[in-house]
Amino acid sequence: MAEMLKVENLKKAFGKNEVLTGIDGVVNSGQVIVVIGPSGGGKSTFLRCLNLLETPTSGKIAFEGQDLTQLPEKKLDDIREKMGMVFQSFNLFSNMNVMDNLTLAPKRVKGEDEAQAQKKALELLERVGLAEKKDAFPESLSGGQQQRVAIARALAMDPDVMLFDEPTSALDPEMVGEVLKVMQDLAHSGMTMVVVTHEMGFARQVADEVWFMDGGDIAEKGTPEQIFEHPQNERTKDFLSRILAQ
Amino acid sequence: MKLKKISLWLTALVCLLGLFAVFAPSGQVQAADNSLQRVKDKGTLVMGTSPDYPPYEFITKVNGKNQVVGMDVDVAHKIAKDLGVKLVIKQMDFDSLLVALETHKVDMVLSAMTPTEERKQSVDFSQVYYDAGQAIIVRKQDLHLYKDKNSFAGKQVGVQTGSLQQDLAKKQMKKSHLKALTKVTDLILSLETNKIDGIVAEDAVAQAYVANDTRLAKIDAKFDLGGDENGTAIAFAKNSGTLVNAVNHSIDQIKQQKLTKQYINNAGKYMATNTENKSMFNYWSYFAKGVGYTLLITAISVVIGIILGTMFALGRMSRKAILHYPAVWYIEFVRGTPLMIQVMFVYFGVGLLWNNIPAFFAGVVAVALNSAAYVAEYIRGGIDSVPVGQVEAARSLGMSQRDTMQTIVLPQAIKIIWPSLGNEFISLIKESSIVSIIGVTDLIYQLRAVQAATYRGVAPIAVAMVLYFIMTFTLSRILNHAERKMQHG
Repeated sequence: MAEMLKVENLKKAFGKNEVLTGIDGVVNSGQVIVVIGPSGGGKSTFLRCLNLLETPTSGKIAFEGQDLTQLPEKKLDDIREKMGMVFQSFNLFSNMNVMDNLTLAPKRVKGEDEAQAQKKALELLERVGLAEKKDAFPESLSGGQQQRVAIARALAMDPDVMLFDEPTSALDPEMVGEVLKVMQDLAHSGMTMVVVTHEMGFARQVADEVWFMDGGDIAEKGTPEQIFEHPQNERTKDFLSRILAQ
Repeated sequence: MKLKKISLWLTALVCLLGLFAVFAPSGQVQAADNSLQRVKDKGTLVMGTSPDYPPYEFITKVNGKNQVVGMDVDVAHKIAKDLGVKLVIKQMDFDSLLVALETHKVDMVLSAMTPTEERKQSVDFSQVYYDAGQAIIVRKQDLHLYKDKNSFAGKQVGVQTGSLQQDLAKKQMKKSHLKALTKVTDLILSLETNKIDGIVAEDAVAQAYVANDTRLAKIDAKFDLGGDENGTAIAFAKNSGTLVNAVNHSIDQIKQQKLTKQYINNAGKYMATNTENKSMFNYWSYFAKGVGYTLLITAISVVIGIILGTMFALGRMSRKAILHYPAVWYIEFVRGTPLMIQVMFVYFGVGLLWNNIPAFFAGVVAVALNSAAYVAEYIRGGIDSVPVGQVEAARSLGMSQRDTMQTIVLPQAIKIIWPSLGNEFISLIKESSIVSIIGVTDLIYQLRAVQAATYRGVAPIAVAMVLYFIMTFTLSRILNHAERKMQHG
């Protein structure tokens, strides 16, 4: 399997507050990595460093062989284009309808023409089950619907990897399922994914590898079975016991 | 932190230096006297005047066009003819006239001005060309109460700001309460509404008002007048000896031929036609022109204000110190100084570098630059209130910072700030009225002109007020409509 993302000794500090203390990890093409861990452990910061939404303090992030930390801003736009991102708060463009949300970046960044972009957008909306909402504005959609549109919007750029930053945390419980279903389908289609989530069920069923993050570094890595059934690290054991006790 | 502080001081210093650079030329005006030659070379003699002072100078309709007429204008025409040049009349507030001389906006000032010692320190004067006494205008029904200046002890007495009458009253009517206003028309209005009890004015002026308003009467003020502190003369910039000599020659002729009497008769005729029909409808063209200018100034200022305001907002939000600090300082400085001073600074201050800056242009520039500072803050507020997630989502899709700003942030920000922007436009309609002080013929200016022409105080104010309201109300309806459209779109 080809290495898609390779992170070496990644550190990030906000002022004196060290959020990431040295992360190492490899994401292979086609792999689904699920990052779990307690709140405040640096999971989201780690994910946001991967596409340079946050600028790392030090360390290397190699994406398809290129060290992103050395690239100028202009080049980063070309890289981000290949790394789709889904946010906890959906972040659909509120001044545009669903169709325009999906076609804006393909048109502006990739130079696709209107017809081409619309055709692809419609296919993606079919895929997330929201084709009939193409003319709706984000504010009229439910949280679950908005997040599915957000996934479709990221996919419209034909990314090589998809980053999910707690995609179900802001959803009402009854809407979590529909979003996880879309993500599961995506995983089965062979998409490389890095998912930060609190959904342990999803991690168990879909992940190829689970990374447990706590206190700014990765305490333990392994298959879902290793992490959930035979955790080695004390912090992992402690975290899981608290989660499962709920 | 330290670096930030240093760059802050640096930008402050640069701003100060910029100000000095603007002021610097004023120190070097003392050159050889070529005043006469300069007037002859350019072929025009520019006269500054405040045309609200009949019979000296006032506005009337000649062949359907508004024109400044009066005794001073006739004197100026005679001088221009003798010099063989064309006369150009520039109108402005009385207060601004001497500044206009110093900054060479005008070659001479004829505005019923008395050559006092104080004024002689900053400008040169011709010989006196007309010598009228001082009178006090009173309400006709109160005429029996007053004899001369001494009858006004404990009374409210009105004078024109910066006038000889103000000086005289200050020195010789110490027991009276003085009220100084810029416009004689406002003083008359105050008198008629019992706010003041008398107005000290040139006898000729008092005569003009009394003749045209049956409610008024005049008495002789009986001031003790020094030899020079009487009569009216023409003011010139310092070091204009050659021009003053040439003009004195013309004044000699005026005196010998007793032309002033003829000039005053001319003025009387114009005043009679002015007062034939005092209906406001007769002056609709004045108001129409005023509304036109007010709307034009507002429209241009709004467009420039939005463009510059957006640039300043982006500058202020920039992380680059070279963009950030100038924008911050500009916004703070402009918002921290009155629009009136900015208008005067652009017209007179910048006028030192660019001599023939048209008043309209200066007024629009000042109002637009002022508006830009306010718009910048609205836009910054709007941009700040767009959730950061919107930007992150766009950037994560590979969109550039510029694309993100254009397609995501600004459209959302404008929707948020639309009501504040609308308020700014509406207040611009009102605030732009300040440009009247440098002689831009906006609605306020025309209101003054109609007051001076008709000797009516309240009616023109009422008309102008209604016109302002119609403009702001219409604009606010249009903006509301646009806002609703935007919310649905």
